[in-house]
Amino acid sequence: MSHDHEPDHTHEPPAPAPVTPDDAGSQALAEALRSSFAIVKVVMLLMVLAFFSSGFFTVGPSEKAVILRFGRPVGEGEKVLLNSGWHWSYPYPIDEVVKIPITEIQKVNSTVGWYSTTAEQELSGEELPAGASLNPAVDGYAITADTNIIHTRAMLYYHIEDPIRFVFYFVSASNTVQNALNNALLYTAAHYNVDDILTRDVAGFRDAVLQRVSNLTEQEQLGIAIDQCEVQSIPPRQLKDVFSRVTSARENRNKLLNEAHSYENQVLSQSGAQASSITNAAAADRARFVESITAEAKRFSDLLPKYESNPSLFAQQTLVQMMGPILTNVQDKIFLPQRADGKPRELRLMLNREPPQPKTAAPNP
Amino acid sequence: MKRNLMTIVIGAVLIVIFALLLFVFQVRQSEVAVVTTFGKPTAQPYDKPGAYFKWPWPIQKVYKFDQRVQNFEDRFSQNLTGDSNPLLVMVYVGWRISDAKAFFPKFAGGSTVAAQNMLESMLRSAKSAVVGQHPLADFVNADAKQLKFDAIENEIEQAVQSQLQTNNCGIEIAFLGIKKLGLPENVTETVFQRMTSERQILISRFQYEGEAEAQKIKSAADRQAAETIANADAAATRIRGEGEAAAARVLPVFQQNPELANFLLRIDAIKQSANQRTTLIFDERFPPFDLFRSLPTNAPSR
Repeated sequence: MSHDHEPDHTHEPPAPAPVTPDDAGSQALAEALRSSFAIVKVVMLLMVLAFFSSGFFTVGPSEKAVILRFGRPVGEGEKVLLNSGWHWSYPYPIDEVVKIPITEIQKVNSTVGWYSTTAEQELSGEELPAGASLNPAVDGYAITADTNIIHTRAMLYYHIEDPIRFVFYFVSASNTVQNALNNALLYTAAHYNVDDILTRDVAGFRDAVLQRVSNLTEQEQLGIAIDQCEVQSIPPRQLKDVFSRVTSARENRNKLLNEAHSYENQVLSQSGAQASSITNAAAADRARFVESITAEAKRFSDLLPKYESNPSLFAQQTLVQMMGPILTNVQDKIFLPQRADGKPRELRLMLNREPPQPKTAAPNP
Repeated sequence: MKRNLMTIVIGAVLIVIFALLLFVFQVRQSEVAVVTTFGKPTAQPYDKPGAYFKWPWPIQKVYKFDQRVQNFEDRFSQNLTGDSNPLLVMVYVGWRISDAKAFFPKFAGGSTVAAQNMLESMLRSAKSAVVGQHPLADFVNADAKQLKFDAIENEIEQAVQSQLQTNNCGIEIAFLGIKKLGLPENVTETVFQRMTSERQILISRFQYEGEAEAQKIKSAADRQAAETIANADAAATRIRGEGEAAAARVLPVFQQNPELANFLLRIDAIKQSANQRTTLIFDERFPPFDLFRSLPTNAPSR
């Protein structure tokens, strides 16, 4: 607007100048005005430049941006999202830049289900001692399927898959994710028994929470994908002792059972070994017995023709053959010739009960 | 002259910008706009993003609303379940303006605070009505078929939704869920006592179970071992019997000449009985010593 008047002012002073050339004062004023208008011109030029260059903006590494032209996103599909770097848009009334913070992984914590504490208290181990009861206004907890009370909390990691939905369809999508997580914890606890949550099926409980959160966020079309879920559950601090006693009782039982099983293994393998040694011995006996009787029979058949040809000769021969080795082996051999008078000899034997040396003396009268 | 033209152009541009500001309004993505003519909403709400025409201020006015899903949580309030258990329930709601034309006149100037106040009172009544129809076992149950968690959430949602519709609020519920469940403070103490006694039962059960089970395993093992050995003994007897049966088949060989058999048996008996600690006494008639008799040195001296 001031631009419009500027030429008039600059024109006017030179016009009356010839009329009153000696008016040095007004000439000085005209000079001053001219120079100040020149400054104003430069400033205005700079402002116009600044106006257009204000269309440049940067998108940071952990964010994306959308340009809204007359309120409508510019581009189609994937191209709507501008990646990190320099970009240009028309200045304000035409374009508007909306930046969406997308760190690779978003994290959200559950807010129900845990007693009132702070991270600092927890780290320093200076938590307030538990009272006899839980105040529903401060202390969170979950009710299990067998109407036990436990504390449980979860940490959910997710990433934004559809930033347009995440930003333009929800006032606070991360808050909605948090509520879905809270709901999932309560819902899952409501159909798990206390022992399953705390000890028997910890992984199953976590998976069920994850499943429920995924279902809810999918139904609500939040445009996110869930990466991971960590769940921590503890019995109420008021009952810590009795719960740990159950654990040790269970461990003790398992120890007893393990001992019994190892005893079982030992006894069974021992008896198995003994049984097989019994049957093996019997089999060996059988083999030996059959073997020897067969050998005997063979010898008998071999000897039979010889015997039948001359029984007494055979007997003599066999006897003598037998006596040979016996006489070599036997330590004391005593030969008694017949008395000259043909009377029978009197023979006295003195037997030691347990002779230390086989030296049986047979005195010869 | 040139300067004047420049002046006119610049002036025209400024007038156009001024006129655009007066006659055009923008609707952003995620917004919905209602245009009023002399205070009365006219035409359809503008729920698509873009730039639109309007008459300047005294004639038409533009009201813009956030069309996105808004979160709202009600109070953690106590209700009685169908089987008279006190239960504290808190729900969260995602709601959005579905009909800006209806929403706008309902709440003074389209105030979301007023809308949420109304939502809260609807939720309170819907919650207590629905919770009162269900026993506690519908909220917590190990049997997935008997757990009515989802059904309860749905019923509350339906109740609120139908109230919103009958009142024509221009609001719709996108989702509704239970955020928090709790018991009154004094009840938690009773629950703790019950849990303690349940734990104690478990402890003693584990103790007895361990001992009994271990005893059972051990005695079963002993019995099985004894059985195995008895079976082995029986098998051994049977095996030996087989041996004797095999031997019996050989016996007829010996019957060809029992005398020889007898003789051989006696020979064997002597062989076996004569070991190193044996003393043998013979007279001269016994072969082979009978040879001595005919020797001159041993000839009986008469």
